[in-house]
Amino acid sequence: MHRREYPRRVFPRRVFSSMTARALGVAGLALLAMGRLQAAEAILNTPPKPKDWADLAQLPDWSGVWTPNVSDQERRETADPIPWNRKAAAEIADLEAQERAGNPKGLFVDCLPEGMPSWLLITHNAMEFLFTPGRVTILGEMDGNRLRRIYTDGRSHPADPDPSFHGHSIGHWDGQTLVVDTVGILPETYIAPSEAVGLPNNGDMHIVERIHLSGPDRLEDNLEITAPHVLTKTWKTSRFLFRQRARKYDIAEGVCLQGNFSEGKDSGGNSVFVPAAQTDKGNWLPPDK
Amino acid sequence: MVMRIEAVRARSFRGILIFALACSVIDVVPIPAVAHHSFAMFDFDKTVSCAATVKEFRWTNPHVTLLIEASPKAGDPPEIWSLELTSPGNLTRLGWTHSSFKPGDRIDIQFNPLRDGKHGGAFLQAKVLDTGQVFTSSVRDANDAPNLQ
Repeated sequence: MHRREYPRRVFPRRVFSSMTARALGVAGLALLAMGRLQAAEAILNTPPKPKDWADLAQLPDWSGVWTPNVSDQERRETADPIPWNRKAAAEIADLEAQERAGNPKGLFVDCLPEGMPSWLLITHNAMEFLFTPGRVTILGEMDGNRLRRIYTDGRSHPADPDPSFHGHSIGHWDGQTLVVDTVGILPETYIAPSEAVGLPNNGDMHIVERIHLSGPDRLEDNLEITAPHVLTKTWKTSRFLFRQRARKYDIAEGVCLQGNFSEGKDSGGNSVFVPAAQTDKGNWLPPDK
Repeated sequence: MVMRIEAVRARSFRGILIFALACSVIDVVPIPAVAHHSFAMFDFDKTVSCAATVKEFRWTNPHVTLLIEASPKAGDPPEIWSLELTSPGNLTRLGWTHSSFKPGDRIDIQFNPLRDGKHGGAFLQAKVLDTGQVFTSSVRDANDAPNLQ
């Protein structure tokens, strides 16, 4: 009887037998039940309410573009020693000797992201901070326009986060200070006080940052870097940023890999990128005579 | 008569060109200039100064490159040198644009040469002779103070 309710041209009897209908019905109910189960377990990012947007106005003003204090970075290459363990210290000494000899190792010439914490330690490029409900987002200028998402919605770290260059960051506001906790950083990510001196963290790195305005236009990031496979103890260091309002400081696109190519034409006259010859140090050399 | 004047001018210009394109090297107090990669391959104890002609200007990340033609020594034929700078973003803040230099521009240039003697260097300063405009490239000047104009 039930079968007769459907037009034959849509569900021909030879295809839609009662047995098939029963099988599909059971399968459908099972899928529906699974879907309800998944829906019950899904964690949703709820849409912000007007109050969530209004609360952002109570946060400190970090608007504008922020440029790194490059001179202070360079000063700290020697004035802010890193507690490397014995093995790491020997490797660092070798890298420093190579750099002094004018033969620096190119830690980042492959254009992979500098990652955490190196991009904070050595970047010469600007960044900006975006506050939205439940999140602080840092947008940078280099590494193909680097990006960090810092979740401030009260969540915890995943039990087993996917390793990434910038790790998994959660944050909360302690008064006017943003406290950021980062784990899940790739073992290959460098701890590098300069572009030529640094070592991979080798895993299990944990970084705590306290970021606050230490002047009207000066942002201070106090970092505590724990990396048990290369450091003997937590390294406490700081980096500083200056606020810029001039429009010429608006963040520019910064695709690192672009430097490995030059602009050319293909056989059809189309504008294309063609590989450019570089040294292993990342320098372009003039064309052969 | 006109042709003769032009010929004289051409000879004079060629003489000036050969003289002016010859680089001089002076020792200076080292000023490190690092960027996305280390700049330790450049000899900051030496500054090369000379007149040059722009061959190509590559406005790309992470380092802008200026290719120039200059004579290493007076009387030598001009050769191409590759000079490296910081990023387009930082240079924008120092007043540069992607069209700051064009092929054929005559410039006075200063740079720190590669230590290994190859024809590369770290850009210090250039003056475009036709306009008088001076370009510098210090990342500190672009970054190290708030509210830069």
